[in-house]
Amino acid sequence: MILAYKPSEKVKHGFEETRLNIAPVMNLMVVLIPLLLSSAEFVRLSVIELNLPPAALGPEGEQLNNLPEEEQRKLDLTVTITDRGFFISSAMAVLGGEKEGEPTIPLSGDMYDFEALAEKLYEIKTKAGDRFTDSEHIIIMAEPEIDYQTIVSTMDASRSIRINGENQALFPIVSLSAGIL
Amino acid sequence: MAIRPSIRKKHKTDPGEAHLQLTSMMDMFTIILVFLLKTYSTHGQLINPSADLTLPTSVIQHLPEQGLDVTVSMDWILVNGSPVEKTVNVASMDGYMIPALRQELRKYADEALKMEELYGVKFSGKVTIQGDKKLPYKLLMKVMATCGQTDYPNMRLVVYQEEG
Repeated sequence: MILAYKPSEKVKHGFEETRLNIAPVMNLMVVLIPLLLSSAEFVRLSVIELNLPPAALGPEGEQLNNLPEEEQRKLDLTVTITDRGFFISSAMAVLGGEKEGEPTIPLSGDMYDFEALAEKLYEIKTKAGDRFTDSEHIIIMAEPEIDYQTIVSTMDASRSIRINGENQALFPIVSLSAGIL
Repeated sequence: MAIRPSIRKKHKTDPGEAHLQLTSMMDMFTIILVFLLKTYSTHGQLINPSADLTLPTSVIQHLPEQGLDVTVSMDWILVNGSPVEKTVNVASMDGYMIPALRQELRKYADEALKMEELYGVKFSGKVTIQGDKKLPYKLLMKVMATCGQTDYPNMRLVVYQEEG
């Protein structure tokens, strides 16, 4: 049998370009994406914990706390939020501002200056050190018309401060005081 | 010619499958997938934020827990979804107590105490307070005082978590 052509001259068929079949990947996406979408959390909720002493224990609780006052040195650090700024006070004195009767940290522009508050509290924390029994406590008081967001942000500013990228604890135990109604 | 042209098949080549251009859609789906993987969370939803109020933002990171739900929006005060008192009425009240709220909380507290007796499920006294971020402080104080007086001293204030 004579070949019509030399084997070396056989024309090789060009390889047909095989297209990448995307359909199986799309199957996967169509299943995964709605699944993840239903369990996605775009806004995270968290809670601030405030525990009041139980009402029933009121009178008895006071008796238990009747330790000799001279041995306890309390700082009683209080931040009062007014519409003119923050007043910082303690059991000893009110930390004055620039002038007599001015808030310790006045409003900057029209907004409350939380960074300045945090820095001031850091100063106080480093100076107070360990000398007081309640050096982790801070009391927040506010005028009746102050809005909720300001109070929450003040609580944030008093709990910790971010220095050089690290979070330093300031006064983690925050309590709200009734103030004047 | 040996064959007539019309008998010959018109289209010798098989048109083949329709090639749908899916590569760009796949790029987009990959990006969406990566984003959703990042926001994936297994916590589930314990608290349903109410639609008509804007919660304040905070950097705190404690997770919410199950508890009685008190929602204080600018118009109404609701306990577990049912309206209890109009906010404007509360603002003009004297003293620290809100009677309607106190009644409602008392009902829930009594029920929970009964459950504790019957089944031994400890009454946690937890109440979850959702408040609009523009609420005045005195309103918040009244709500918290009322909760404290009706056996719900452990309050949890719900906030949106912000970065940093």
